[in-house]
This record gives sequence, structure tokens and C-alpha cells, in this order.
Amino acid sequence: MSTVETPTRPAPAAKAAGGGRIVAIARLHLVNRWQVFAIPAMILLFILLVNIVIWWLIVRAVTDPADLADTREGLQYSGASFYIFVYAIVLGAQGVAYVFPYALGMSVTRRDFWLGSLLAFVALSAVYSAFITVLATVETATDGWGLGGRMFTVLYFGGEDAPWYQRFLLFFAAFLFCFLVGSVVATIYQRWRVNGMIVFFAALTLVVLGAVATITLSESWGLVGAWFVETGPGGLVAWSLVVTVLSAVVGYLLIRRSTPRG
Amino acid sequence: MTAVIEAEGLTKHYRSVRAVDEVSLRIEENTITGLLGRNGAGKTTLMQLLTGQEFATRGSIRVFGESPVESAGVLQRLSFIKESQKYPDDFKPKHVFATAPWFFPNWDGELAGRLIDDFRLPLNRRIKKLSRGQLSAVGVIVGLAARAPITFFDEPYLGLDAVARQIFYDRLLEDYAEHPRTVVLSTHLIDEVANLLEHVIVIDQGRILLDDEAEALRGSATTVVGTRTAVDSFVGGREVLHRDVLGGLASVTVGRLDPAERREAAELGLELAPVSLQQLVVQKTGAAAEPTGIEQTA
Repeated sequence: MSTVETPTRPAPAAKAAGGGRIVAIARLHLVNRWQVFAIPAMILLFILLVNIVIWWLIVRAVTDPADLADTREGLQYSGASFYIFVYAIVLGAQGVAYVFPYALGMSVTRRDFWLGSLLAFVALSAVYSAFITVLATVETATDGWGLGGRMFTVLYFGGEDAPWYQRFLLFFAAFLFCFLVGSVVATIYQRWRVNGMIVFFAALTLVVLGAVATITLSESWGLVGAWFVETGPGGLVAWSLVVTVLSAVVGYLLIRRSTPRG
Repeated sequence: MTAVIEAEGLTKHYRSVRAVDEVSLRIEENTITGLLGRNGAGKTTLMQLLTGQEFATRGSIRVFGESPVESAGVLQRLSFIKESQKYPDDFKPKHVFATAPWFFPNWDGELAGRLIDDFRLPLNRRIKKLSRGQLSAVGVIVGLAARAPITFFDEPYLGLDAVARQIFYDRLLEDYAEHPRTVVLSTHLIDEVANLLEHVIVIDQGRILLDDEAEALRGSATTVVGTRTAVDSFVGGREVLHRDVLGGLASVTVGRLDPAERREAAELGLELAPVSLQQLVVQKTGAAAEPTGIEQTA
């Protein structure tokens, strides 16, 4: 039988109090290194590999310099790295859905749970951003992996010429946004269960639909596009931070009144 | 003695359901209390209230003198092992025993290791794949090794076999003797834990039916068995807790009997039998509505 493994016996008591518990909660989110670090990195590198093959095929096939320039122009709109942000949304949601009931079972206050979770999300955002910033730097240095490809220096992240710290901050804000949005939706579930989800997604649909209808009817899509161009990546990050902070506050208020159900 | 847990007029409503209804209680420091009652009696809700996991509709709770809700100071001296505890999706028991010490300052890793061996718990299997009994073992080990000054066990033995349950009772008593603490244990297996308990609280439909020292409850009721006429004449106007009649024979449970009454019963040819804690609880919570009749109460 593959039963008791004595080497993995629990470590001796760690004295935890106050801030210690917040850090402990943050660590709780990172217990599964594989899920938090290895898997997203591996998938990202896999996507990169697939893209490199595609770029190579394109470069081989397109010989006319004008067409090639055209292709490079188009590649700056690549969405190949978006998966990692969806992953962050899922991690944010799971962080609440799975860790919250466990944390309360470990006699943690809801306040400490939320602060610890925020700490974990900030830390994860920083690590992910640093990783992608390095990849972006390599991408620039190698002129798109030797093939003019673009995955981490696309337009939404400041384009080709952005300095590394600007890229890092853009990535960081984007990740934090995703973690918080994912987790705040999960807190709605913790607070109001299925009914909360139904109401939330119905309301979200109506708001989006209303916005689209208003813009379409007033024929102002051009203005919306202009606003995005005018605001630029930096401005969009600033706006995303508004949502991020709002999510942090709303999540705190909701989790404070939540009880995990069996 | 000092009370470490006090509740006053504690009430919890879920829509129309009164899960906990005007409960007032005191639990003394360093005692083992049994919280007994039927399914849905309100045991779990009461424990969730006392541990700050659920919010009271009304009433007050004092644990170590303050409300447990969102109080880090109270909560870190408390552990609540519940049958329905959820674990992160990908957790294995080894993750639980690696992370629990971060939260319980008195955690004893050696004790945890011993219990892991005792329960033959596989450390490297996903929690999702554990059997019900193994899942219960995870909770029991955390509850014992955490050595929290107040430990709540809510139906901790679900799915545990008789050997494992005995291990739990033995280890609980051993460790309790060396490291006195306050234990509140909710359970269905009343006979099994009867000898463990120093204090008993019986709850039914959200209300406290009984709240007494276990010692006082032992012998607080007696079953009188004999012919129907003899039993009826002996019982007379006493309060009857329970009554079974089968043909010409009757078995009636009454309150405490003094020595003179016992002699009288013997002279009438009646048999006297002590009522176990389990029977007492069954009669208090099950048969209350049927003072007469021939049906046996399970």
C-alpha cells in the first residue's frame, strides 16, 4: 500500500499572529506551485513555440518585401498572449471559491483572508509580469525571435518601443485587474450563491447590451475608437485600476458577510 | 470554574426556519461537552455561530469574553472541525498538514504524524479521492494536533470504522489529559461517547432541551418494567418520560428514584433498569409527542 509517507510529516509549529496570518493566507494560494507557476508558464511557452512555427511558415511563404512589411504590421495586433490573462481570471475565482472555505476552517477571519488573497494576487501579478517582461525584452532584442514575430510587444502593451518598466507596469496592472475581477465574481457567489450569479450576469448582460445599443444608435463607435486611441495603453491601465480597486473594495464588503456552505 | 463560551438568547433564522432558537448556554473551560440532537436539530448551525462562521439573527455570543465574529484573537485559539469542511480542489492530505500549522500556534507535528499512522491515512492522494472515513480522519487529525484551547468537532467520525473511532476517542482523552482544553463534540453515536462527556447539551428544533452535567444525567431516569397493573400503580402520578406497552407488560421511564422508592418497586416485583444517555436523548427528542402507545421508539 502506498500509505503513510513519514518524510512529509508536518513542520513544527510556526507562531502565527496578525500579519503572520495574512502572509499565511497568501502562501495558501501558492501551495500548488505546479498550478500557479509551472502550468501557465508551460502553456505560454507552448503558444510561443506554435507562433514561432507559424511566423517561420509566413516568412518562408511571403517573399515580397512590401507584403512582409504588411504582415509585420498585422502581427502587432496578435492576441496570442491573452490566454494567460484568462488564466489569471480563473485563478482569482478559484482563489476565493476553494481557498475561502478552507481558510475559514483554519480559523482565519474574513478580513485576513481577503487581505492575504490580495497580497497573493499582487505577488503573482508581479511574478507573471516580470516573466513576460523578460520575454518581451528577448522578443525586441531578437527582432521578433528572428522572424519579426510579435507576441509580448503587441500594440496593447505599449508596442515595440516601450521601455521595459512601462511594459512591466502595463502587464502588472492587467494581471491585477484579471485576478481581482475573477475573485470579486467568486465573492458574489460566496455571498448569494446561484441567485447572485444569475442576477450578476443578467445585470452585466443588460449593461453591456445597453452600452452597445446606445453607442450604435447614436452612431458613435468612431468616437469610442478615438477615445481608446487617445487614452492609449497608459490611460487604459489607469482606468483598469479604477475597476481593480473597486473590485477589491466590493470583494471585501461581500466576503465579510459570507459563510461557506457545505 | 470559568465559562469560555457563553451565549445569550442566540437565534438564527433561515427564511422561515428557526435553526437556532433563543439558545442560552455556558460552556466551562477545560471540559468535554457533548452537543446531542437529531439531524437538523441545529447542532451545526449552533457551532457555526459559536465559531463566528455564521451570523446570528439575534442574541449575543462571548468566546473568551468577546464576540468570535471576525476576531482574530478569538479565532486563533479555536478550531472547528466540521463534517462538511471543503478543501482546495487539488489538495492532498500532505498539503493540509503542511498548511494547518501556519494557523494554529499550538500545532503538534509529532502528534499529527502519530495520528496519520494510526488512521493509516494516505498522504499523497487527492482529498477528492479519499473515502468518507479517510476524509473524516483528516479533520480529526487537524482537530487533535491543532491543540486549540477550544476545539469543536461536528460529527467528526462520519465513515470512520469502529477501530478508527476508538482511536479517536482514546487519543482525544489521552491528549486532553496532558493538554487540558475545551472540547465540544456533536455526535449521533451517543452511547460510544457517553463515558467521554463531562457535560451534555441536548438540542432539538433549535432549542435546548437538556443542559446538565453528565454525572447528574446518569441515573436521572429509570425504566420500570413489570406487569401493566403493577407498573401503573407504581408510577401513579409521576411524570412519565416514555412508555411502552406490550400486551400485559409495560415498560415506563420515570425520573430519578430514591432508595425508598426503589424498595417499593422491588416489593411490587418490578424490575428497574438505568436509562443510558442515548435512551434518554431518544426519549427526550423523539417520543415527546407520544406519551402512550405500543410502538417502540427507535
